[in-house]
Amino acid sequence: MNRQAVRVIAGRTAGMKRRDHIALFSGRSRRAYASGVDNFDVVIVGGGPAGLALACALVSPEKPAALSGQSHLRVALVEASDLANVRSWSPEKTIFSNRVSSITNTSREFLQNIGAWQEVEQARTNPIEEMQVWDGLSDARIEFNAPHVSASAGEMARLTENINLQRGLLRQVEKNASSGVITLLDKTKVSSITSDGENDASNGWPLVHLTNSQTLRARLLVGADGPLSPVRAFSKIDSYGWPYNMRAIVATLRHGRSLSSFGTERNHTTAYQRFLPTGPIAFLPVAPTRASMVWSTTPELAQALLDAGEPVLSLMINAAFRLPDVSMQYLHRYLLEKWEASPVKKGCVTREEMEHELRWREQSHGIAAGSALTSISFDVMEEGDVASEQERRQQQEEGWIPPADAAMYPPLVHSIQPQSAASFPLRMSHADVYVGNRTALVGDAAHTVHPLAGQGLNLGIADAQALARTIQNALTVGADIGSYSALEDYPRRRYLANHAMLSGVDKLSKLYGTRLDPVVWLRSTGLEVVNELGGLKEAFMGVAGAGDNPSSPAGISGGGGGRLPYPEARQLPILGAALVEGITATIDGARTLLGNALRDGRRRH
Amino acid sequence: MFARNWFSLSRFATRNPLLSSSRALSTAAAASSATGSGTTVNASEIAHFSRLSSQWWDERGEFGMLHKMNPVRVGFLRERVVRTRQDEGESENQIGLGLSGMNALDIGCGGGLLSESLARLGARTLAIDASEANIRIASAHAALDPFLSPENATEMPLTYRHATSHDLVQEGKSFDLVCSLEVLEHVDNPADFLESCAALVKPGGHLVLSTIARTPLAYFLTIFMAENVLRMVSPGTHSYSKYVNAPELLDFFRTRVPWLPNAPTNIEPPSHLAELRGMIYNPLSGSWGLMPRGAPLGLDCNYIFWLRRPLE
Repeated sequence: MNRQAVRVIAGRTAGMKRRDHIALFSGRSRRAYASGVDNFDVVIVGGGPAGLALACALVSPEKPAALSGQSHLRVALVEASDLANVRSWSPEKTIFSNRVSSITNTSREFLQNIGAWQEVEQARTNPIEEMQVWDGLSDARIEFNAPHVSASAGEMARLTENINLQRGLLRQVEKNASSGVITLLDKTKVSSITSDGENDASNGWPLVHLTNSQTLRARLLVGADGPLSPVRAFSKIDSYGWPYNMRAIVATLRHGRSLSSFGTERNHTTAYQRFLPTGPIAFLPVAPTRASMVWSTTPELAQALLDAGEPVLSLMINAAFRLPDVSMQYLHRYLLEKWEASPVKKGCVTREEMEHELRWREQSHGIAAGSALTSISFDVMEEGDVASEQERRQQQEEGWIPPADAAMYPPLVHSIQPQSAASFPLRMSHADVYVGNRTALVGDAAHTVHPLAGQGLNLGIADAQALARTIQNALTVGADIGSYSALEDYPRRRYLANHAMLSGVDKLSKLYGTRLDPVVWLRSTGLEVVNELGGLKEAFMGVAGAGDNPSSPAGISGGGGGRLPYPEARQLPILGAALVEGITATIDGARTLLGNALRDGRRRH
Repeated sequence: MFARNWFSLSRFATRNPLLSSSRALSTAAAASSATGSGTTVNASEIAHFSRLSSQWWDERGEFGMLHKMNPVRVGFLRERVVRTRQDEGESENQIGLGLSGMNALDIGCGGGLLSESLARLGARTLAIDASEANIRIASAHAALDPFLSPENATEMPLTYRHATSHDLVQEGKSFDLVCSLEVLEHVDNPADFLESCAALVKPGGHLVLSTIARTPLAYFLTIFMAENVLRMVSPGTHSYSKYVNAPELLDFFRTRVPWLPNAPTNIEPPSHLAELRGMIYNPLSGSWGLMPRGAPLGLDCNYIFWLRRPLE
């Protein structure tokens, strides 16, 4: 029955040398591609934060290796753009890039462990200690502050420009690049990827052909190459998802110093987000008088707002945080009509015209000039900082104090940093799997997410951490780190967590994308109830800012501390997503049953 | 048919394969002498084995379970070896990747799953198998890997040879680490085989074995479920009567190859000399794990055994 097994022991000696075997049987000696081919253990395509973080974690691991000589990996990183621009980035103190991310405490802890956070310019980071999130229709509000997350951390997240983080990572990587552990190839594009498996690509190694005519042979090829990932295409991994009919406008905002109702200066550590039916708008403070904005809205409005010019845009941003939805709809219609009628589009409406309309709408809502709800700030100022400082003194001399509710809204924006306004399309997508034949995907190559929870970058960082840990663990058992068995743990750590975040955020955007009365009532009541329940609030915190652990600790020896105060909290983001999913499912059902009747009723009103 | 087999309890009343009759011994002796002339392998078996051997490196195929089990086996043996080396005052540099500076032998290497891991952990590894087809597949696979097949190296980290353990004994070879994992249960004369393995270990060296216990539980999991119901491995891969129980293995190394101090069967050996651990597959997570020491039923199915040869 078991004869073949018997032969394992009772066979005979062939007496052949191994080299002969290779020549005789395998038919593919390495000499065939030895010339001009460079072998690497890990080839990372893409020098964004996720790719750099992975490179960093591979060459300077979180925990020093249990035994010396463990990190003998040869790593190469290929980036199409010129990283010199990142390296030499030295902006003026008051100029900020429009691409800003909130780094969760978990991400930051990992970045600290791999030595990269120490290379990030701390003066250009800003802690978030409080978040104000409210419903654009009902004004139902939820407030988060740092003690809800963790008494020790003191902050929920840290805002910084993506390029600041990228430069920090690059500096840390380059420390190792000089010692030859890692090969950085920037200004180099991938021209094609092939497999050296002659008739069966499933057991070949990836060959990465570069535009500088170099060819890299990879034990493991990592795609950190963005939403249109060539590595994903080579791996024949499909992804599912859908475009949102939305664009996100980003801009760097200039505003006055925020004052409390006692006239003293408030900390610039509160982030604001209002859910308008056209999409959420977020105000993310980066410096005392600077903030970054992400405003998701319809593609037409996004174009019209950008074409109308910075003075109109800053006015509209103020209104978007304050004006009741019915008037926002009016202003949107007004802007779109002007934009469509204008032949040149640029400057389709003047600030004066817009201000006139806005003043009229405010009057009809009974919003008094000088109240917290007025959107009309002072004249556009050229030198923001100086002017607002003068303004502050002047106000104090006159005995002016901000209205009582001022802290519920972001400070009034008086201008937009030139050339900082831009927009990009939004899309939700998730790769079917993260691991192919000697390939793995991280960051946007694996998933793209609606920016409303500010989690895209954190998911990519968490991927890099999980993949690096998976590789380190595989090294300790002598595994081939490109093999499927060695990488199996990576999707196990990340896929479900990413899926929960993606789907939770997707559902949230849909939940807040409607004006239907019962939905608005349900979501508002839900939000207010959650606001009163500490535990559930922490659950949403996991989704929105802090805490969430990027990987299940199972199978990892050690790992960093300082997570949520109790281990169950790790499950909460998933719980939060499930909750939102349940609510939306109920609402969808109710909508089909009652939708038409209710809409008719509203029209008659 | 399964049901009738399953209810026939007599199938479990098999004898300790390590206490084989002299007839079996003489057959094995005949077979082992036949290896010298190279006539024991017939053409149909080569064809059969080649068909199976081409699947060694299909991680999600026939040997998928073995691929999943490998990290657990390697983790265990590396940990034992490193602990011993640390106890003996070797420096971190000497220990290196764990097996650095050691000579390792993998007996019954198959496609080379374990052999490659041993080499990556720093051991100068010789891997042997009685099947030429296995050696061919294993060599071809290692040739793809620049770490295992460096261009201009004088000494290769991993060498494959078509040979048996008896061949190496005859050549007078010895090693710091001898591994034979998931092989014992496929051997016709296990006592003879174990003696040859033991003879290849240097004094103070390590021997690592893993196999399956001869219990109804093991029958149920490794033959009934894995082969017949779930078809995770080809039916006929395992043979119940060849399974070896952990106490039988312990007794063997207390009496016939007396590396361990004599003690009653149910007493565990001192942990600096030997360790027995169960390995269990968790179908929910799809991964293997090492069972805690002394866990109930721990040694009733798959288990791994590490022991040291005394310095003498």
